Amino acid sequence: MVSLAEDVAIVAFEQTPSHAHFNDSEPAMIMPCVNSVIEQVGMDRHDIDFTIAGSCDYLSGMPFAFVMNIDAVGAWPPVYESHVEMDGAWALFEGFVRLQSGDIDTVLVSGSGKCSPGSYREGFSLQTDPYVHAPIGLDPRTQAGFQAQALIAAGKATERDFAEVVARSHANAKDNPYAQLSGDLSVDELLAEPYLQQPLRRLDCPPTSDGAAAMVIARADKARELCDNPVWIRAIDHRIDSHHPTLRDLTDSPSARIAADRVGLHDGPVDIAELTVTYSPEEIILRDALGLNGETSVNPSGGPLTGSPFMAVGLTRVIELARAIRNGDGGRGVAHASSGPALQQNLLCVLEGDG
Amino acid sequence: MPTLHDVDYTLEYPYTRTTGPVIGPFLTGLRDGRILGQRCGDRVLCPPMEFDPDTFATLEPDLVEVGPGGEVVNWTWVAEPSAKHPFDRPFGFAFIKLDGAHTSLVHAVDTGGDPEAMSTGMRVQAQFRDERHGSVADVYFVPEADAAEQVIQPGDEPVTITEHLIGLRITEPLYPHRARFAQGLLDGKIIGQRSPVTGKVYVPGRGYDNMSRVLMSESDEVEVSDVGTVVAFTELNPVQYYGQTETEPYVRCSILFDGTDQPVIGIDIRDMTVDEMRVGMRMRCIWRDPEERSVTDIDNRYGNIPETVYARFEPTGEPDIPADELKEHSW
Repeated sequence: MVSLAEDVAIVAFEQTPSHAHFNDSEPAMIMPCVNSVIEQVGMDRHDIDFTIAGSCDYLSGMPFAFVMNIDAVGAWPPVYESHVEMDGAWALFEGFVRLQSGDIDTVLVSGSGKCSPGSYREGFSLQTDPYVHAPIGLDPRTQAGFQAQALIAAGKATERDFAEVVARSHANAKDNPYAQLSGDLSVDELLAEPYLQQPLRRLDCPPTSDGAAAMVIARADKARELCDNPVWIRAIDHRIDSHHPTLRDLTDSPSARIAADRVGLHDGPVDIAELTVTYSPEEIILRDALGLNGETSVNPSGGPLTGSPFMAVGLTRVIELARAIRNGDGGRGVAHASSGPALQQNLLCVLEGDG
Repeated sequence: MPTLHDVDYTLEYPYTRTTGPVIGPFLTGLRDGRILGQRCGDRVLCPPMEFDPDTFATLEPDLVEVGPGGEVVNWTWVAEPSAKHPFDRPFGFAFIKLDGAHTSLVHAVDTGGDPEAMSTGMRVQAQFRDERHGSVADVYFVPEADAAEQVIQPGDEPVTITEHLIGLRITEPLYPHRARFAQGLLDGKIIGQRSPVTGKVYVPGRGYDNMSRVLMSESDEVEVSDVGTVVAFTELNPVQYYGQTETEPYVRCSILFDGTDQPVIGIDIRDMTVDEMRVGMRMRCIWRDPEERSVTDIDNRYGNIPETVYARFEPTGEPDIPADELKEHSW
């Protein structure tokens, strides 16, 4: 595990509900989250040292859409600001690394995305190899279908296992006011549904969602000054596998394994894991790659199968974990974010309470 | 709430990419009806790569024909094709290990819409499209028994550039404040939003005051004057990029309407030359007749006061406002 120059904690967080359709602009969606976290820490906006956002112009359907999002973060007079064309969890990563320099105290992090106006399958197919994959529209759902088929072929999972992930996620989401889908589903009924992307059915795939999330992170002294119950980011790391799905063992996630090692995942108890399970088979792969057993509560929030605003959904996993730790549901846990198709890139963030 | 059009537009970009020493021959081969792999030690990689995927060492271009038959080693069935898929009816995507290759190509398999025809281990064969452009989409696959004999006429020059037109279709209702603004234009009114914090009036409103980070709603809306002052202008000489519809030079200006704090940008002037424009000039909107007004060019991101609602902007003849007084609004 990498030793840190600076201890960093989450001191405030906010998220929108996962909307099937948010009928206003992305900045209008982000702004209440930003205002909430600034109010929670009781700071003047311009005393926050660094601001960073994660979003995707292809999802917004507008070149430089991320610039418009700056409307939401209070950027006038000008602030020290950056952006990643990735999920907000990677904005958190950059903010965390920035704090390691020790010269600033606070970072405002946000992530946002509206999937409802466009087609995420068409937009995200442009993440793939531009010569051999993108021109045939190779989309994330198709790649998830390959991953599911590979698991079945290897005898590592069945369609019933996928349905059990779906049923448990929806049941867990019943207590989550931010969830878009929730309820009691029977595994047999799920298996009776038609295929959407054989061997996947509609609820093995995420709903179409719009949403945003924001948080403030701070160096240790400042964190204690700003709140009574900081949630400590003990480690964060991200790794990536090949962008050629045919060169990967799709039944495993080597990048998640490496990240788990780098963050020292099992150096302490893992009470809770909030995982970016965008397609149900991914939970099976991640449980195995992260070495999670019955001691860990996986996706008590319901996870992305019950609400998946791309570009906010990974940061939201960190928030759900931080909230659970603040609520005393666990003392230590891991949040996971994913980028690229079929768990190609994986970020892990270990959080611990102040106890 | 007025009922107006929904937003429906497709953002397109034609991407052109150089192909390099390995992908170039591969795409040339597809255009000419052949599939090529790249030698990598004892193996053949298809799709071909410029580097050894295990060691990342550079590979000298060394291409060898593979296929046209192959074996499906993984597959998934697309019940609802996207607009960017090779087929508009349900089809299979598969990992295809072509005969003679050691890695697999991801591609589409057309079984006539029948998922039952797909299986791991099935034999497939390449089929080439009648129109080929030096793209991976020049080829697709069918079950071996369904393959037709094809005679492919090779092209002339090697493929050194591959073109890919990307497109993102956006469909959504107009946001409520955009719909009210657009309806205002149909009614011959310019609607702005007054910040409840600073009192500044923004036209068109964005649904929030970004200076004060506060959301704004219908109760913050005000009708503003259709007389204002030119704060900036330029002459546009249309570059003939993809999608350009303009051919002749024209004037585009920004007008600060009386009583507002933000100019409306992108107002096009067709009946004055750039030499006749001045910063500080007072202008009035001459609306089209109500039945001739249209706001279909307004979407949620673009479109302020489109030419489809006004006949022209004409100088009022009032004295100019000194440019110095407009510095805050020069955009």
